[in-house]
Amino acid sequence: MHHANHFYGHAHVLARYCGLGDGHPPRINGYVQHGWNIGDGLAPGHPYVQGTPSLLWSEQTRRRAWSVGRRNLVVTGAPFVYLLTMQPQAAEQEREGTIWYPFHGWEGQHVRGDHKELIAEIRDTEPGPVTVCLYWHEYGMRRVRRLYERAGFRVICHGYRGHWWRQTDPLFLDKQLAELRRHRRVASNRLTSAVFYGIAAGCEAAVYGNPMVLADEDPTFGGTARIRRQWPELHGARTDQRTATEIARAELGTDHRCTPAALRELLGWANLQEDRVDD
Amino acid sequence: MTTDTAPAERIALPGGEMLAWSDLRADVPAGGGPLAALAARIVPVGARVLLAGPHDPALLDRLAHAEVTCLLRSHLDGVALADLAGDRPVRVVVGGPHGLPADEAYDVVIAGSGLDAVESVEGARLGWGGVLDRLVTALRPGGSLLLRLDNPVGLHRMVAASPWYADRDDAAWAVGGVLDAGRPVNPDQLRARLADSGLRPGACFAAYPDPGAATALLATDQLDRRTTAGLFDAVLHGACAGAPAGRPLLQDPARLAVDALHAGLGTALAPGWVLLAHRPTDPGPLPPELPVALVQTGPPEIGVVEVVAGADGWRWRPPAPAARAEPAAPFASREAAYRDPDALTGPVADGRLLRSLLLDACLRRDLDALRRLLTGYADWLAGHAGDGRLTGAVALAGVDNVVVAGDDFAVLDPSWRAAEPLALEVALARSLWRFAAGLLTGGYAHPWSSTLDVVGLTVVLGGVAGRELDRPTVAAAIEAEAAVTAAMRGLDARERLDLVGELRAVEPTDPAVGPDSYQQLREAWLRQREELSRLRALLRWTEDLLTSRERALRRSDATINLLSGSVSYRVGRLAIFPARLARRLARGAKRRIRTALRRRPVRQEQQ
Repeated sequence: MHHANHFYGHAHVLARYCGLGDGHPPRINGYVQHGWNIGDGLAPGHPYVQGTPSLLWSEQTRRRAWSVGRRNLVVTGAPFVYLLTMQPQAAEQEREGTIWYPFHGWEGQHVRGDHKELIAEIRDTEPGPVTVCLYWHEYGMRRVRRLYERAGFRVICHGYRGHWWRQTDPLFLDKQLAELRRHRRVASNRLTSAVFYGIAAGCEAAVYGNPMVLADEDPTFGGTARIRRQWPELHGARTDQRTATEIARAELGTDHRCTPAALRELLGWANLQEDRVDD
Repeated sequence: MTTDTAPAERIALPGGEMLAWSDLRADVPAGGGPLAALAARIVPVGARVLLAGPHDPALLDRLAHAEVTCLLRSHLDGVALADLAGDRPVRVVVGGPHGLPADEAYDVVIAGSGLDAVESVEGARLGWGGVLDRLVTALRPGGSLLLRLDNPVGLHRMVAASPWYADRDDAAWAVGGVLDAGRPVNPDQLRARLADSGLRPGACFAAYPDPGAATALLATDQLDRRTTAGLFDAVLHGACAGAPAGRPLLQDPARLAVDALHAGLGTALAPGWVLLAHRPTDPGPLPPELPVALVQTGPPEIGVVEVVAGADGWRWRPPAPAARAEPAAPFASREAAYRDPDALTGPVADGRLLRSLLLDACLRRDLDALRRLLTGYADWLAGHAGDGRLTGAVALAGVDNVVVAGDDFAVLDPSWRAAEPLALEVALARSLWRFAAGLLTGGYAHPWSSTLDVVGLTVVLGGVAGRELDRPTVAAAIEAEAAVTAAMRGLDARERLDLVGELRAVEPTDPAVGPDSYQQLREAWLRQREELSRLRALLRWTEDLLTSRERALRRSDATINLLSGSVSYRVGRLAIFPARLARRLARGAKRRIRTALRRRPVRQEQQ
């Protein structure tokens, strides 16, 4: 299995959905798209084996990936939508405030931008209490974390996404879903997976503020400018929730969610040869 | 012209006969097929009929109500036909078209093998136009001519591995083609030529899959207008998919026929046409009501099934009881399926064929459409289930025999029926497995990964239909498919077992079942090559990963060895020994307690 399949506990969520329990998930015969992106669904720079299936979130991503030469593509929907079916929303859950995701790169990237300006804009915009969710890399940077804490925000981190099969938090998405369901709004300075997850979890969406450019951002698929052009409905301090829900439904591939038996076949889990190994 | 009398008294030999020649074919449909059924429809009781050129001897059975003269060029065929005719009023003339008695006229002239087959190698050639003129002369005012014309650019020539212009068969002593200006090459030209000869052209039928052995005759006016009709889709696919295995072809004729239908070219690309024309009188007789389709499928005893147009749409017209043998009752044959021709009554279900809609959605990767169609199909099957089981025609209603109109699903041909009830999941899995096998081995583009085998894709399709199928259910479906196919083809128990093995072994990299189509063989080879490339790349990656993991393991081993040899480790180990011992004992105690607790309820039940 490609180690990126373990990011954010995706493989663990899919294994639970397929009825394989909470243990170490079996190898996946393919690459699971591990985050919303505007390219071919796969992270640039990762080594990929020719001909291995890509398990993508949306039909639009599949078309784009095909057009840039990728083959053996299947739309299965995001692992997050499988989690949503396993953890249905409690009807009486109270929601309050905003969960705010300052844009992050991964640990090999460096974000350029002014957190103080962003904090001021969040204060001016958000009507209620704010929870800031930092990527583990920034959460570990005391200086950055303090900036948000001093602003009176609750600062959290959903966990470590993992790397090379190590230290993956299998409950990363579970924690994220629980947090999202506690909040009325989800916001970020860039349109990212977290915003789509928030919309799918029932939050109002907002994307505003300095998008904080990555030091070595790959311009191949158009960057933030293209994201604003293609999804203008999701940008701004206030967005239309119905429109946002439709877009999130398409981008997360909610309608393409497979049944457990079908997913077992697509992931190569129908005829497991390996013994189950627990972490 | 001199007339000699052969030993068989009814054979006339006016000259021009071919002594070492036979036109009889082994591959014609039993009972004369749709052409014989059409001929029977247009021949009135007591009519004088001329069968010009070779015809299936079974046609004589269908024309028992008429007085028949057969004009044949083969002496062997003439003798055989005279023997077969028995006591019926049949006269046989063996020779070329010159041998036709000049003073005789007929109510109906049938040239079901075309006009080339009327001419002999002996004597002067009349050519296509000359033969036509001779036959028209022999037609009484008010009489009818039923004439077959082969299409020089028909589907059969498009899929042939050898070009028509290189024909080396014994019958190819002269090769006719589009270059012959004296011969019409399409129905419009044929109508014009018949009109020039003083005839009034009438109904025209497209003949599939082989002009000389048509198993389907379809009215061309309807064929070109009703391009989305599920009936035509199923009939054309069925007729053209029956080419024998191992026969080399360029491409799949069934796919091409269905494409031609949807493109409005069902008539233009038909391998041949059968056209009816009348010699006008004033007032002329009313032309007979002719079917929209005449089709021969399934076991020969069923006869030719007809579809007629009515005020409320198309309707089935079952074969006349005299034209078919009584089918064996299912309890007598113990077969999984049987055909009930009496079910072919009432309206023909209208709509598009489900298989075509599914293939189209697969090609366009339209997952929403696939979900809608397959969910609707599975729900429709479930709606017919009683106690989780399906019976009758619905139990066997695969996607190639179901039509969809809006949200409504219906069985197209209800005559094939399951002898025993079939579990709903097994019936659905059988249908989806057949579709999956056709999709993969046919080389169609589809929205799923190449790593799925046929069973896996069946399970995925079940998921798209909103059903949780598992592999054991699909395995049962393959058994059911073998049993049904065995019943349809009349296989014995041994052949059925072999079929089960063949079906289980179908792989996505196999070519489609049937003739060896160059396109499909090449596609299968490409799929195999891609799979091999994928596996090689995967093996390389796995080797690299193994090396990296082994290196990481060695590093960990070295670290463990280094640490376990240190003084601090040994002291620490000694210090925590009591704690480790206590933990081990506690675990043992816990295990024993759990075992005891698990056993207790069992004992209680036993008491």
